[in-house]
Amino acid sequence: MGEMMSKVKVSTTINGDPVEYLCDAEETLLDVLRDHLGLTGAKEGCGTGDCGACSVVVDGRVVCSCLVLGAEAEGRKVTTVEGLATGDRLHPLQQKFLEFAALQCGVCTPGFLVAAKALLDRNPDPTETEIRFGLAGNLCRCTGYDKIVRAVQAAAAEMRKG
Amino acid sequence: MGRPEPRVDGRLKVTGNARYASDFPVANPAHACLVTSAIAKGRIVSFDLDDARAVPGVLDILTHETVGNEVHEPKFFGSGGTASTIHRPLSSAQISHAGQIVAIVVADTYEAAREAAYRVRVTYEEEDAATTLDSDGVETLPATKVRKEHKNPRVGDAAAALRAAPVTIDAVYETPTQHHNAIELYATTCVWSGEQLTVYEPSQFVHALKHAMAEQLGIDAEDVRVISPYVGGAFGSKAAVTPRTALVAIAARRLNRPVKLVATRAQGFTIATYRAETRHRVRLGAQRDGKLTAYVHEGWEATSRLDDYLVGGTETTAHIYDVPNVSTRVNVVRTDRATPGFMRSPPEVPYVFALETALDELAEALDMDPIELRRINDTRNDPITGAPYTSRSLMACYDEASRAFGWRRRNLPPGSMRDGDWLVGWGCATAVYPTFMGAATARVRLARNGATRVEIAAHDLGTGAYTAIAQTAAERLGLPVAAVEVLLGDSALPAAPVAGGSNTTASCCNVVAKACDGIRRRLVRAAMRADRGPLRGRKPSSVNFVDRHIAGEDGAKVSLADAFDMLGAPMIEEYAHWLPHGMEPDALKKLHLGSAALTGGAMEDRIAAAFGAELVELRVNVYTGELRVPRIVGAFAAGRIVNPRTAHSQYVGGMIWGIASALHEQTELDRRVARYVNTDLAEYLIPVNADVPDVQAILVSEEDRLVNPLGIKGLGELANVGTAAALGNALYHATGRRIRKLPLRIEDVL
Ligand code: FES
Ligand code: FES
Repeated sequence: MGEMMSKVKVSTTINGDPVEYLCDAEETLLDVLRDHLGLTGAKEGCGTGDCGACSVVVDGRVVCSCLVLGAEAEGRKVTTVEGLATGDRLHPLQQKFLEFAALQCGVCTPGFLVAAKALLDRNPDPTETEIRFGLAGNLCRCTGYDKIVRAVQAAAAEMRKG
Repeated sequence: MGRPEPRVDGRLKVTGNARYASDFPVANPAHACLVTSAIAKGRIVSFDLDDARAVPGVLDILTHETVGNEVHEPKFFGSGGTASTIHRPLSSAQISHAGQIVAIVVADTYEAAREAAYRVRVTYEEEDAATTLDSDGVETLPATKVRKEHKNPRVGDAAAALRAAPVTIDAVYETPTQHHNAIELYATTCVWSGEQLTVYEPSQFVHALKHAMAEQLGIDAEDVRVISPYVGGAFGSKAAVTPRTALVAIAARRLNRPVKLVATRAQGFTIATYRAETRHRVRLGAQRDGKLTAYVHEGWEATSRLDDYLVGGTETTAHIYDVPNVSTRVNVVRTDRATPGFMRSPPEVPYVFALETALDELAEALDMDPIELRRINDTRNDPITGAPYTSRSLMACYDEASRAFGWRRRNLPPGSMRDGDWLVGWGCATAVYPTFMGAATARVRLARNGATRVEIAAHDLGTGAYTAIAQTAAERLGLPVAAVEVLLGDSALPAAPVAGGSNTTASCCNVVAKACDGIRRRLVRAAMRADRGPLRGRKPSSVNFVDRHIAGEDGAKVSLADAFDMLGAPMIEEYAHWLPHGMEPDALKKLHLGSAALTGGAMEDRIAAAFGAELVELRVNVYTGELRVPRIVGAFAAGRIVNPRTAHSQYVGGMIWGIASALHEQTELDRRVARYVNTDLAEYLIPVNADVPDVQAILVSEEDRLVNPLGIKGLGELANVGTAAALGNALYHATGRRIRKLPLRIEDVL
């Protein structure tokens, strides 16, 4: 948009790395991640907070990054799906999603993984109902709901073992 | 094949590294935003673009005044073309449906494009629009008038049989408008490099999209490339080419800069297709012992004014049961709406709902168990033509499903299975999906070290095509799945059919197997001719490829690497094409031109279909009318299962689709203005995790030696076919109230 609009300079931490970027004041965090930072793991399924495909964790809380401004990430810690694996080693949730066939087209998967990770960070031993309601903000149209719940249960069990 | 291999594309998907259309980075893209029509019928009188142009960063605004004749008229996919509609976008002031694209704004940023799109002011001259089946101003036509090839299956004298039948059913059923709502939005990015156009768009048919662009833009097809390796759900919505793509290409050409469009969820309801509402009158006649004597089915389907879209589902229902007298008729009702399109099991979902509900009504009238009624009318042959089924396991599916469900404990009378405040009902219905196949081509390359690469422009919509194809090549060449790399979703690869009609696994695995067999033959010949080779002089049919070796029955073997050395080549590349039984010989030519020709289902000499049985429990709260589905069991038989894990996912996902279709989904129409009301994922109800019950899918084994060389039937569109009827039937069993109109809602039972 050229000189007319003032850009905002943001310093933040994404997946453990310090990151600085310039964004437009009205640009969403989702667009910043996808268009400026090349982190296209978070997806846009609605842009209105209804589908959860854009879920990321900001300071320990799952948010719809389509409803957060890029500027709001200033000084915070952001985790996206790209930050779940450690090098080549998949996070237990990722591993269990594969084993339990909890994904099909996969476009909802990054959002589910991020939301599930935040859920398990808060509650390492959730009941099935807690998982179902904890992930009720994420839509899977394909639809892998039952398998997603089983995968999260299995990952939780594995993570508790340490 | 046959092993539950995990998805080969799974790792990319769980790490966020799988690239969907809108994930591809392009240099310095401009961003597009659509403006869509506020009226359903009439014309644009004028645009006021001053405010929009004043938004900083706006680069271009395209309307019919700028685009005019630039887009050539496409050919409708239902008539052998590629397009979802013959409508030429931005070609005139005419408006033929609400939400039609009237302008496209391009700007440096998405935010600027969106802002400017809001500021585009359009003045319309509005006419009265005909909205739906019985609105004023619709035009009702027999399907045979609209599409010459349409057939209304019939046999015997149904009218006389109906008159003579001691037990009859005569009822009207309705199904609603629904939208696919894949989670991935309709995205298109177009990049020109000189004369060459690259399109990144989620597609169920990349070769069609390539030819559509050539045709609509008047350019050479060889100058177009479509890239779509991962698709974020489609369910039919990304098969035919929609008007947006040509506009994005034109915008990019005018700016000489890549243009990226991601349409909003609300726009997705009108710029692409949908499942149209239908109505059915079904009449059944039967003897007192349950034997069907007559089946009469008349259907009405909403469609647009412009295109000849229809689903004609009696083409499926007329072949399911052994009825000697059948008469069917399909009508289309032209409305002022966008053209509908294929949505998961397009003919089967509405028409099978009607038939399977009518059968439940008949079972009730006969005081008979509804599964028993289906058993009495089971058949091995097509009742219309007498041709045999290539294989059919409907009753085996019922047997396995009822065992797992505990169906024997069902009380027959409705309202007799109460549990506290809940009325409990058990219902069943048949699922059926014709087996389709298409001409396909593929290239397979095997290197001396076993590294294999399969190239085929097929599509993985989440269905598991990458994995099934990798397994096929791995098995044929005696390699681990990990040795096989599969490239899909790129129009530069050998052409494969549309990912529709659940044909991908059958068509693509057969052609890939054929290419692998070409490689095998060359290696086997070399190994047999080699002096002092362990397989010297064997018959080619006596050896197999296992564990990176060519092995004889007696244990003599030659490693792949040695066979390559005997051949004197470091690698082999083989190209193959495959034509399914019953396919016209010009099918390959058509395939290369992007035509979605498929064969299968009911043919002259045989009939091929996959079957299933779905059993559900539905609970109705006596005070609130709340509907709950605690469990559902489906048993399905679809020939050879290449991968039970991904097949299971398709079945479970399909049944959840069926639940959604029966209890949640309806696109609401404002009948005064022919507009959709609930165009977002908050108002268009689809289930979430918390809504979904215990879903059990049983894979019933079935061998089919006739349907195609590998014995594969399609299954992706099978499991959502019977669910709605099963739920409606369960609702009747719980309450004694027959609801003949979907979706089933609380207000229906209060
Ligand atoms: S894209 Fe953010 S919730 Fe759907
Ligand atoms: S896997 Fe496709 S939307 Fe969830």
